[in-house]
Amino acid sequence: MSVTHESLPITETIRPNSLEEVMETLQTASQTGEAIYPVGGGTSLDYGCPARQPGTALQLTDLSKVIEYPAEDMTITVQAGMTIRELSNILAERGQQLPLDAPQADQATIGGVLATNTSGPRRFGFGTARDYLIGVQAVDGLGRIFSGGGRVVKNVAGYDFCKMLIGSLGTLGVITQVTFKLKPRSTRRTIVSCQIDDLEQLESVLASMIQSQTYPAALEFITGPKWSDLTDDENRLFAIFEGPDTDLEWMNQQVAQEWQQQGVHNITTLGAEEAENLFSRLTEFPADENTALTLKTNVVPSGITSMIQAARELDSKCSIQAHAGSGIANLIFDEFPAEGLSRSLTGFLRPATANHHGNVTVLRNPGGQEMTRQSVWGGLDHPFWMMDRIKQQFDPQNILNPERFVFA
Amino acid sequence: MTEAGLNQVADQLRELLGSDRVLTGESDLLVYECDGFVIEKNSPDIAVFPTSTREVSEVVKLCNASDIPFLPRGAGTSLAGGCLPVGGGVIIVLTRMNTILDINLRDGYAIVQPGVVNVRLTEALKGSGYHYAPDPSSQGACTIGGNVATNSGGPHTLKYGVTVNHVLGVEVVMADGQIAYFGGRAQDGPGLDLTGTVVGSEGTLVIATEVCVRITKDPQGYRTMLAVFDSVEDATNAISGFVAEGIIPAAMEMMDQGIIGALEQAFEFGFPLDADAVLLIEVDGLEASLDEQRDEVTRLCKMHNAREVRLAKDEAERQKLWKCRKLAFGAIGRLSPSYCTQDGVVPRSKLPHILARIREIGEQYDIQIVNVFHAGDGNLHPILLFDERKEAEVQRVLKASGEILDECLACGGSVTGEHGIGVEKISFMNKMFQPSDLEAMERLRIAFNPTNRLSPDKLLPTAGACGVEQYHPGRRAAL
Repeated sequence: MSVTHESLPITETIRPNSLEEVMETLQTASQTGEAIYPVGGGTSLDYGCPARQPGTALQLTDLSKVIEYPAEDMTITVQAGMTIRELSNILAERGQQLPLDAPQADQATIGGVLATNTSGPRRFGFGTARDYLIGVQAVDGLGRIFSGGGRVVKNVAGYDFCKMLIGSLGTLGVITQVTFKLKPRSTRRTIVSCQIDDLEQLESVLASMIQSQTYPAALEFITGPKWSDLTDDENRLFAIFEGPDTDLEWMNQQVAQEWQQQGVHNITTLGAEEAENLFSRLTEFPADENTALTLKTNVVPSGITSMIQAARELDSKCSIQAHAGSGIANLIFDEFPAEGLSRSLTGFLRPATANHHGNVTVLRNPGGQEMTRQSVWGGLDHPFWMMDRIKQQFDPQNILNPERFVFA
Repeated sequence: MTEAGLNQVADQLRELLGSDRVLTGESDLLVYECDGFVIEKNSPDIAVFPTSTREVSEVVKLCNASDIPFLPRGAGTSLAGGCLPVGGGVIIVLTRMNTILDINLRDGYAIVQPGVVNVRLTEALKGSGYHYAPDPSSQGACTIGGNVATNSGGPHTLKYGVTVNHVLGVEVVMADGQIAYFGGRAQDGPGLDLTGTVVGSEGTLVIATEVCVRITKDPQGYRTMLAVFDSVEDATNAISGFVAEGIIPAAMEMMDQGIIGALEQAFEFGFPLDADAVLLIEVDGLEASLDEQRDEVTRLCKMHNAREVRLAKDEAERQKLWKCRKLAFGAIGRLSPSYCTQDGVVPRSKLPHILARIREIGEQYDIQIVNVFHAGDGNLHPILLFDERKEAEVQRVLKASGEILDECLACGGSVTGEHGIGVEKISFMNKMFQPSDLEAMERLRIAFNPTNRLSPDKLLPTAGACGVEQYHPGRRAAL
């Protein structure tokens, strides 16, 4: 499989078989100035600003071995080109898991998921990549290998390159090998669902969940046409639980009681199969390819209803998934907003995020209109100047994913 | 810097802060010559006590203009010399910035100034149904700013994660005095995770002047147990057995016979004095399954030959058990005039091996070593007992300490799980990392702190810092 995605101006694809080959490729490129596009499974190539500089795809999918899996220590060290699905299968055999919900797990690689800081519904209860990556090896823009962290679950020696590289979109280094700490595999998952009449009720239920006796792994809110096959109600809220059977039964009943007290209707506990199907839909939603524009908003959790309101004002037919406990929402527009991207953001969404300490980023824009750094990444108040200084140290020739990320 | 030059800087600082918040007298500065790591001491030239971010920024700008090194300090409980003013200069004491600025339950965060003592935040949250999860044993004294600098752990980090897992954002003063905000109240800000990058950087990249931390919902209940073992080997095998079965309690601490005796003298808890080791195990969560979890813990301990598993009968007894554990280091004075502890980490399946090796190393160097540590994380704290008046003993302690840390590395572990590199363990960085890793760390340091006036000679063995020559092991504060 080679990368032919039109999202990137790729002239050639190199699939290294060894770390040395990664280093050599980057050393050579740093001398010639050739752009390098690190690629995993190719599921997020349209993420970020459009790349214009023709260059080489450095596809890591052949570096996909397990280096060490001491299951008795609940850690694993693997090469970054392994797919999330393969990793999950290996861990499942030993009753363990990495609880990051990444879409397109058959293709998405570990390195790609880390570089994009992908997360899903269970981030509310389990955290994100930064809570699991304990060791990392990468090759920087001059072809220099570097590592941080280690293979033990607690370790404060040296600077934390794990955090520096997560979400860096491959612009500081190509992640080649990683060590994760793991969790025991959840034996069972249950989902309790209710109908939400309006946004006021949504906020009141979400606020009440702060003092809930239950501990949801995820709190998901859905609304819009993309969900219409799932539910007759316009809006639904889901509490997703994982844990031992006794806890699950207790929490299912408890949350239903708490919601009843809030006056919500149509409270149901999903059947096992229905729950798995829904969970899969919730995980895959942000990667839906039938979209004219997919945005991600991040605000403090109490701001989520304002975001939904703003998105609907922009387009009443917008489909939304909110990781409501975490203040994150994915918005899918079936039609590209008539106002254009920039005006949609400045006129509707960014004012709403600003009031709630948040931001909007573009996840997908197949038409590629108005994809400036400002519209894709927003966050003018964030210290991009400091990020530039780190970039300068790790990729001074600016060959890694040029123009795609937040740098000046 | 010349004395006249220093006087001039001190005058400028007095003008900025007022003379009551600038110390220059030799005896006034004594307390700032070291932290919990007392082997190496060096007095700062000036200590200042800013009360606002703007003041910290102005102090830093002034230090830069005068080309004088500077470093931040919280409560000074660091155990690795993180607050040691290696080249003198200005020490910026942040303990007067001790206000809890905001607690927001709905959005799950609190904003605190760096000088807020760790336990004060949890006290402020009492009754709200929430707490601040990182709980280092020194939490009654250490500051949250210091916790951010060292990425502190604690017993309950086994389940809840260390400091970095609970920091959403930091307001910082950069090395040049500029004020910036990394991360924030909302998650997933755009660009690099600068917050995660600076947490644990031991004051070498930025000075945190405000911290936005995540707060955590209280568990509904606890079951706290004391499992009694006739051999250290059985106890460590039990710990490995827990992890291998995928059972991660909220906390799992080990104490061996040496420390149990001292604790019993100090606190009269009723510890079994003939036991070779005890495990303090706490599970938390929903009442619905806590008894099941308790039974599972008991079963596993018994499977590994525990002779008894006691359950704390009420909250008072639970609190007393935790008090014994967290104040364990205070009890060591009953065992010997001086002691030195290490902070190595091993993969948890290697615990039986490393504890046996520690015992051998103790015998080989004729040094008594007792153990009290975060067993569930594999984070050791072997305590080497000695009399610092006996020079030969001191040398043997240093050699034994080094050998224990070397063995941790040979097991695939780390030389520090929560105390930091500071100045103490700089010489181990070359053993733990490749030269190319250290060069990359140096580049990151340059990106934030290009002049190296902020906390020079810490953490990295490059840039002239090659670690202190250790002639005397230290007596350490609680951990």
